[in-house]
Amino acid sequence: MSSTTHSSNIQASYIQLRNISQSFALNDTKVTLFEQLNLTIRQGQSYAIMGPSGAGKSSLLMLMSGLELPSSGQGVYVKDGVKGKQESSLEALRPDIGFIFQQFHLLPELTALNNVALPLKLRGDKEAISKAKVMLTKVGLQDRIHHNPNELSGGEQQRVAIARALVFEPRFIFADEPTGNLDEKSAGDIANILLNCCKDSNAALIMVTHSQVLANKAEHVFNLTHDGLTQLKGYNTKIGHLEAAC
Amino acid sequence: MLITSRALIESRTLLERTKLAWQFYRQEYHLPQQRLLRWTQTILLIFMLALTQSSFSVQQYLTQNLQGLLGADAKISQRQPFTNQQVNDLSEQVKELVATQQIKINFSHQDSWQYISLKAVADSYPLQGELLTATSLAGNTEQSLTGPKQGEIWFDSRLFASFNLKTGDIVHIAKQEFVFTKLIKHEPDRLMAGHNVAMRAMINIADMAKLNFSENLINYRYLLALDSTQLSSLQDWQQQHLPAAQLVHKQGNHPLALFWQRTENFIGLASIILFFMAAIAIEQIALKHQNKEQYFSAVCMSLGASKSTGIVVSILKWCFSLLLLLPIALLAAAACHWLIIHYLTDNFPNLQWQWHYGLSLKTLAFISLIFALFYLPVWYSLLNSSVGKLFTSAKNTGSNFGQKLVSVAVLVIVVLAYSDNALLTMMLVGAMLVTIVLILLLSWLVLTLGEKFTQNLSGLLPFVFFMMKQRLVSKSTQILGVGLSAFLLLFTLMLMHDLGKTMSSYQRQHDGNLMVSKATNDQLSYLKNWASEHNIIIRQNKSYMQAKLIEINEQSLAEHTDKPSDSLATFSREIRMHWNNQLPSNNRLLSGTWWQADSDNWQQVSVEQEVLTDMGLSLGDELTFIISGQRYSFIITASHEFKPGNGSITFWIQIPTAAIAHIQANHYSMASLEVSEQQQPLLAELWQKFPTLRMVSLQQMTERFDNLLAMITKVISGFSMLIILLAGIVILASINAVEANEQKKNSIIMSFGFNRMTCLKLNIIEWLITAMIAAAGAIVGTYLAGLLIYKSQFSLNYQPDFVWLFVTLFIILASVTSLGIIASRKSLNSSIRQLMTE
Ligand SMILES: Nc1ncnc2c1ncn2[C@@H]1O[C@H](COP(=O)(O)OP(=O)(O)OP(=O)(O)O)[C@@H](O)[C@H]1O
Ligand SMILES: [Mg+2]
Repeated sequence: MSSTTHSSNIQASYIQLRNISQSFALNDTKVTLFEQLNLTIRQGQSYAIMGPSGAGKSSLLMLMSGLELPSSGQGVYVKDGVKGKQESSLEALRPDIGFIFQQFHLLPELTALNNVALPLKLRGDKEAISKAKVMLTKVGLQDRIHHNPNELSGGEQQRVAIARALVFEPRFIFADEPTGNLDEKSAGDIANILLNCCKDSNAALIMVTHSQVLANKAEHVFNLTHDGLTQLKGYNTKIGHLEAAC
Repeated sequence: MLITSRALIESRTLLERTKLAWQFYRQEYHLPQQRLLRWTQTILLIFMLALTQSSFSVQQYLTQNLQGLLGADAKISQRQPFTNQQVNDLSEQVKELVATQQIKINFSHQDSWQYISLKAVADSYPLQGELLTATSLAGNTEQSLTGPKQGEIWFDSRLFASFNLKTGDIVHIAKQEFVFTKLIKHEPDRLMAGHNVAMRAMINIADMAKLNFSENLINYRYLLALDSTQLSSLQDWQQQHLPAAQLVHKQGNHPLALFWQRTENFIGLASIILFFMAAIAIEQIALKHQNKEQYFSAVCMSLGASKSTGIVVSILKWCFSLLLLLPIALLAAAACHWLIIHYLTDNFPNLQWQWHYGLSLKTLAFISLIFALFYLPVWYSLLNSSVGKLFTSAKNTGSNFGQKLVSVAVLVIVVLAYSDNALLTMMLVGAMLVTIVLILLLSWLVLTLGEKFTQNLSGLLPFVFFMMKQRLVSKSTQILGVGLSAFLLLFTLMLMHDLGKTMSSYQRQHDGNLMVSKATNDQLSYLKNWASEHNIIIRQNKSYMQAKLIEINEQSLAEHTDKPSDSLATFSREIRMHWNNQLPSNNRLLSGTWWQADSDNWQQVSVEQEVLTDMGLSLGDELTFIISGQRYSFIITASHEFKPGNGSITFWIQIPTAAIAHIQANHYSMASLEVSEQQQPLLAELWQKFPTLRMVSLQQMTERFDNLLAMITKVISGFSMLIILLAGIVILASINAVEANEQKKNSIIMSFGFNRMTCLKLNIIEWLITAMIAAAGAIVGTYLAGLLIYKSQFSLNYQPDFVWLFVTLFIILASVTSLGIIASRKSLNSSIRQLMTE
């Protein structure tokens, strides 16, 4: 698999949020989710974001992935490619990201295999089917590839979704409560599969979760409340740390 | 939801459930698919109500005129007087009879003139029905028990008004004096006498003899009272003894029959088409409803409500939505009905607007039944819903195929029961079924092959094929919806186009502004002198005699063909037979050879091409005519058609000049003249001398035609508009039905790192493929429907104009595709965010 070559070549791509604030005007009152938030997400590492409901975890994911714009502050994507490090806006992140959702969101008319092959087909990859098979084997679903989503259990559906998110080798995977819909046992399984697969593909995993068990498996754990972002676990990144020169 | 959930559990009585249903109805009122459902239902209601009311009014009008107010059970007429023997024979076969005579003359009074129809009636007139008269325009209408006495003349209101007459005035016809005594308000036998718009006057039959008109200008007729058992023997007798006479009876074939039959068939067809369109639209909407309602009832049950509560609430909600449509639908239908009746009064004088309550109730019940039928799957699925469905997101897929089949079968039965033209319905249903099968087959084939052959291409095309193939079931439903409505729309437009063309082909290029349609030789020579005297140019002048076709290859017309056509309708009366030595300069030879001048073989005939095909004739066939009471047979040796540019007077039937020596008959002429505005007063003098000279000014002629055409166009295009409207709704519905899925699909694609542009491109390609498959189905369906329906239902020859068809189809599909793309842009507004919050 190409994922092994990945890890040796490209190490240092990262997403950096600088002094990000997000607020909405709701019925003439300004609702502020967070202010002056700084965070760096590095490729190949895993992050968990916890916090009470409504704190803005999902919103933060959208900002990080460049799909929504913050009210103030800046997000940059530093990409380490063949030409060395290049800094660009988060817009450039698009081709390099994948998503996993609480509700799985598989296309109901497609078999597991076709669901996984979908992003590759869209990219015109002629080996889409065989690559999808490899990926499904990795998540342990080699026997269920021709089943439709409604014939699979929640855990199995989520595994298909993980395979689908990873199959086109994105550098960053965003997962919004990936185990929220699953029982404890399969939540644990899914968490392991997810973390392992991301490690294998050298992709960063950023997950929002309410589960302490799942969060503990990540290398970095943050807690988002209305008072801001605090790091509960992790070593090399200080809170509020800013790299001065890039 | 919290408040309602408590209400749900507690609602045991019907009142509580009704309240609940009302609440849900209010909540859902503004949802787009609800709005679409309302629109479809309203349009269908308005259409069906207005249509049934109008056609019932017209049919009732016809029946009344033909029966109660018909004036007779049957009428026999010919251009010659009946002999005493014939009248005796006739009176023995019927209960009662009354003689009338009719002649068209130019009536002049104090320097103004009018072409009028003068009717003479016997003392026993009227036979049946009411003869209504008045003494002034504003005066009371009263029933007269007999017609005018000798020396009296009655006028109809139009003639009365145009001459500024008052009762007691003396008028002159052919030097005879008459006293104007009454205004005719209604003649019971008017419709049976044939539809014509000429102004009318009535005198006593004894006075007609004194006027000394030449016999062959008078239409002699007897109004007959008989019962249906006497009719067939009378018909036999007429065939044998008076083959050239025309027998009209109230059981059909009145002069308006073909005209009305075409319009009625078109309306019938339009209503069937609309029904199916609405079926498709509602079906597509119901698809979406099913999931929502199912979810709703599952929520109800998870909150502890019984299954019956869910269903009862759903049914009540449905009733609310229908009941609240009724006031608007009824008002709009009444207005449409009024408009239709208003348009029709030109051709159906005295047609009254009237709301038929019983009928409207019946129609309403009928349509509600159909609406309910479309909604049945929703309720059925509610029966099967369970709390479990809440948690497994399993959507009902192919399993409802059988259910669909059943509703299609029921729909066909209902439409058959509704429509009074089962053959037409079956033909349309047949064409639709073929189209459905074809579209399904094509969808499968195109998507399978498309996927296979584009596999090795790069770009978005292979992906679109892949996706469409994977979603074959839902896609083909959509393609079917679009394809069927494109087919129905295309067919309607084609029919409208061709009917319009047929109508306008009656319109010949005229030269001269005054047409003399019937002049005797004396009249013609006088006319020629008069013209040269006043420097008036006679543009054209052609002779003819009157002949009635009675047999084709020794078979009577009825035996020869039972398909109604314009030609057949015309042949039931006398036609003009022209003779010449050479092909006229405004004719073109299409088959056979024209006769040599003064050939010995005088029994040859050339027939106009359209008549030839209409009547199913071919070269070598033998036509037998009655001319002046004698039989003459001719062999068809040529066919011709009109060639514009050399005058407008042309004849369907032409024979060699040599034949004239063998036929004893009166000769008449048709001529066209150019009379300037200043010379118009000269005409009065002409008519005073020859009251029977048939002259029509061009304005009058085109006006009649234009009125008829305008009316048909109005009726037909009105219905076509409704069909276009519904087609739009079907397409919106089919987009709306899959919108949620599309939105999700787009979000998912975006979550793979693609942007909106890619999704838009994917949508466009998908719509183009959809349109192409739908187009293929539509064109085949239209061709087939034309083949089946044209000849048998509209007496039209089917010659599809493929260029026109393809251009129209292209326009339809371009609009469909744009509509689809515009509508699906909405689903592009989706975002990954929605996937997170869902
Ligand atoms: N576009 C927007 N306009 C207004 N308010 C918004 C918008 N997007 C998010 N919000 C609000 O911001 C708050 C945070 O939403 P978000 O979905 O990020 O919360 P969350 O932390 O993910 O919660 P949960 O754990 O329940 O998923 C919510 O109150 C939400 O209503
Ligand atoms: Mg969230």
